[in-house]
Amino acid sequence: MATAPRAGAAASTAPLAPLVPLAARGIGKTYGGHDGANAVIGEISFSLAAGEIVSLVGPSGCGKTTLLNLLSGLARPTRGDVLWHGRPLADVPRGIGYMLQKDMLMSWRTALANVTLGLEMTGMPRAHREKKAHAMLAKVGLAPYYDYYPSALSGGMRQRVALARTLVTDPEVILLDEPFAALDFQTKVVLESDMARLVRGQGRSVLLITHDVEEAVSLSDRVIVLSHRPSRIRAVHEVRLAGERGDMMAMRDAPGFTSLVREIWSQLDVRAGEH
Amino acid sequence: MKSIPPRSLDGAAVSVAEPPGVARAPRRPRVDLRAWRGRFAILACQIGLLAVLLALWQYATSRQALNAFLFGSPSQVWRFLVQMAADGSLFHDAGVTGMETLLGFLLGNVIGTVLGLSLWYSRVASKIAQPFIVALGSIPIVALAPIVIIWFGTGLASKLAMATLSVVVVALVIAYKGATSIDDDQINLMRTLGARKHHVFMKLVIPASLRDIFAGLKLTVGFALIGAILGEFMSSSDGLGHAIFKAGSLYIIPKVFAGVVVTIVLALGLSFLVGRLERFLMPWHRFD
Repeated sequence: MATAPRAGAAASTAPLAPLVPLAARGIGKTYGGHDGANAVIGEISFSLAAGEIVSLVGPSGCGKTTLLNLLSGLARPTRGDVLWHGRPLADVPRGIGYMLQKDMLMSWRTALANVTLGLEMTGMPRAHREKKAHAMLAKVGLAPYYDYYPSALSGGMRQRVALARTLVTDPEVILLDEPFAALDFQTKVVLESDMARLVRGQGRSVLLITHDVEEAVSLSDRVIVLSHRPSRIRAVHEVRLAGERGDMMAMRDAPGFTSLVREIWSQLDVRAGEH
Repeated sequence: MKSIPPRSLDGAAVSVAEPPGVARAPRRPRVDLRAWRGRFAILACQIGLLAVLLALWQYATSRQALNAFLFGSPSQVWRFLVQMAADGSLFHDAGVTGMETLLGFLLGNVIGTVLGLSLWYSRVASKIAQPFIVALGSIPIVALAPIVIIWFGTGLASKLAMATLSVVVVALVIAYKGATSIDDDQINLMRTLGARKHHVFMKLVIPASLRDIFAGLKLTVGFALIGAILGEFMSSSDGLGHAIFKAGSLYIIPKVFAGVVVTIVLALGLSFLVGRLERFLMPWHRFD
């Protein structure tokens, strides 16, 4: 068996392990004043261990982006707490990286200057941050393009610059909101593989929000399936596939991959009207 | 049986897909002869149309179909232009008006842009300011001219004030719109990178608004010129507005037209200058 589904989420009342940078404890989010006005997140608890890649998959409109904003400290939950190293989160913490489907590169900055953006806020000297940015651009395979403006780069290259911008600040936890969704399949698989290698090699944790089940299964150690809004955790799957975890094409051929994807699909509840 | 139509080898040629992660060198646009000829044809039509209108005007006044006293004629206008150039009043008046316009343009844009961008800083302040901005923007500047003359006198200061007033609200609204139209996700991204509010302002809001602000400059240089000429109309001893107003009150219609022609040339020159300034300061062409 490749999977170990646990129906529902165990309330994380147990003391947190020391190496859990990010955890959600019964978080919920309701927009509007009165009870049940517009509940987007019902109740969600999980923890993200150091070096772990966890995917959240859910039907469209299950409040994935709201959840990401809660976890990154950009928005406050109505109920429960987001724990950053065991402490409730009150603002955006240092050590979180954030990458969306839109690359959001600044058109007036070169690739290099886009990568140094986060370092500028830390007061690092210019020579030092440019050295780091050059090194990071080399890691994502864009070393020769450092002085290109984003408009001269392809979609995949732009997303690589965005990845370099995220990684160069050495975040402990990286939150990804469908970062590869706008790319064509080839570019996407290559970029996923590169990201998995970079992240796993450096022991960073990743929380990936996606609607692409294959992407979730091939990339992560654990897949959390969310229900329709107000979203709750419907199932949790540990992904234990044999093979090179940094090669997304190989992962897709691993035994057990297809059956796990199918099982998650059935839990995604994409049919309309069912509750 | 249906016969299969023969296929050329070209039709079956496989197009090679571009491998991911390979840069395309920025392509230089080739000079398109047909487009260039099209532009030349349009310019020729424009010049031709102008020539026909001038000829009709000249013909009608010489044949007394139009009253030359009331309508002037192109040849009379030209004579006044030559005369004004010869006695130096053309360059003096254009210089005075041009200076008033440029100073008012600069002052109005600096004040308006600084106010507009800084309104981004405080949502409360911008909400409070909103009705006042709308009210200020809806006042025809000419209605303020008498007060401006009383407050600032009949010299340069009052023309400067009129030109500035004509520009400031427009510049403010443009800068504020540019600053507030920034994607929230982009601001969120900056926050996760550790940006404080002043970082977001300096590194995102200002550079992202610059394009709108520079587009506004071309618009406001015309407004500044209108303001300056309005100020000269009310009360002054020199400038194009003064020359036009004086010629009009003496019923020297061709001289009025001559003043208008100089004003048009001045407006074209100023907007060309601003366009050059934009290209020089904002090298969009490097990354567009």
